Amino acid sequence: MTEQFIWTVALAGLVTLFLKSAFIEGQHYFQLPQWFIDALEFVPPAILCALVIPGIFKGDVGLVREFGSVPIDPKPIAALIAAMTFLATKKTIPTLLAGMASLYLVFWVQI
Amino acid sequence: MPHDPNRQLQSRALQGMRAMTPLLPGIVPFGLIAGFTPVSFGFTWFDAWAGSLLMFAGASQLAAYQLMNESASLWVILLTVAAINLRYLLYSASIAPHLANADRLTRLLAGYGLTDQIYAICHRDYPTHDWDLQERVAYYAGGSCLIWGLWQACTVLGAFVGQIIPVFWSLEFMIPLTFLALALNTLKSRSHQTAAMTGAIVSFAGLTLPYNLGLILGGIAGIIAGVVHQRMRS
Repeated sequence: MTEQFIWTVALAGLVTLFLKSAFIEGQHYFQLPQWFIDALEFVPPAILCALVIPGIFKGDVGLVREFGSVPIDPKPIAALIAAMTFLATKKTIPTLLAGMASLYLVFWVQI
Repeated sequence: MPHDPNRQLQSRALQGMRAMTPLLPGIVPFGLIAGFTPVSFGFTWFDAWAGSLLMFAGASQLAAYQLMNESASLWVILLTVAAINLRYLLYSASIAPHLANADRLTRLLAGYGLTDQIYAICHRDYPTHDWDLQERVAYYAGGSCLIWGLWQACTVLGAFVGQIIPVFWSLEFMIPLTFLALALNTLKSRSHQTAAMTGAIVSFAGLTLPYNLGLILGGIAGIIAGVVHQRMRS
């Protein structure tokens, strides 16, 4: 555990605690402005999609670290299959299983 | 019937636990993932648990560890965590009047223990019951202690499982897959889809930017696109 890690997680914990208890702590309650509530609607789709992208296109998965890279990156293909699985089933666990299974499959056929 | 306040608070706490129970199965796989993905990045089991203890907020934990692995800068990590957890502001504002006048420590613990699930049951049950402050706190404590304990147990268990699973299983890839499922689940309207598409495209265009700046720009652009799309339609 490095010093930088402790700081990062502790600060992330503080940010989270601040957001969770901002209003519970305050004695004076006020209405959040409407524009803020409207914008809040779009935070999850925007930030989650923005977060998916580097996970798919950046960095290497354990398969690559263990066996070396392959001509076609299996991650985008696996993510696409996972996305189609979610749209078809609306269930998270089948989505994860389909994504991982296609990751292995696309990797192994290229070796 | 004899009135025993302790007995009554106990039964409120149990009631909170019972109300929470149907929501628990959903967090088990998520808790396991939050435990084993950091380990597959090379963190120790204790490092993986630290996120659950200090943050206690699933999706933002996954994001924080993924970004630490990508060597993102501290402020990008904190900004992302804040964005994912912004919804707690709404929960907090909605729950606050019910917990007003509780003492400082109780309010601090209630803040730390706030989750999607506890918000759901309290938001549903507080207005329809004539409970006093202590009963509301007992209900909250029962539900949140139960989910807290299960979450901690699942992360630690997941972290230990992660240590014995070989690297080539690539379990860390479950983080983007989880975000993918969570993201697709939010596409309720055209405006949400616009926000999501814009977020993804800008983030992709900014992949080579330093400090994972593309992620922040994608998030901001996506939110603006969603708001603008909704304004234009109404």
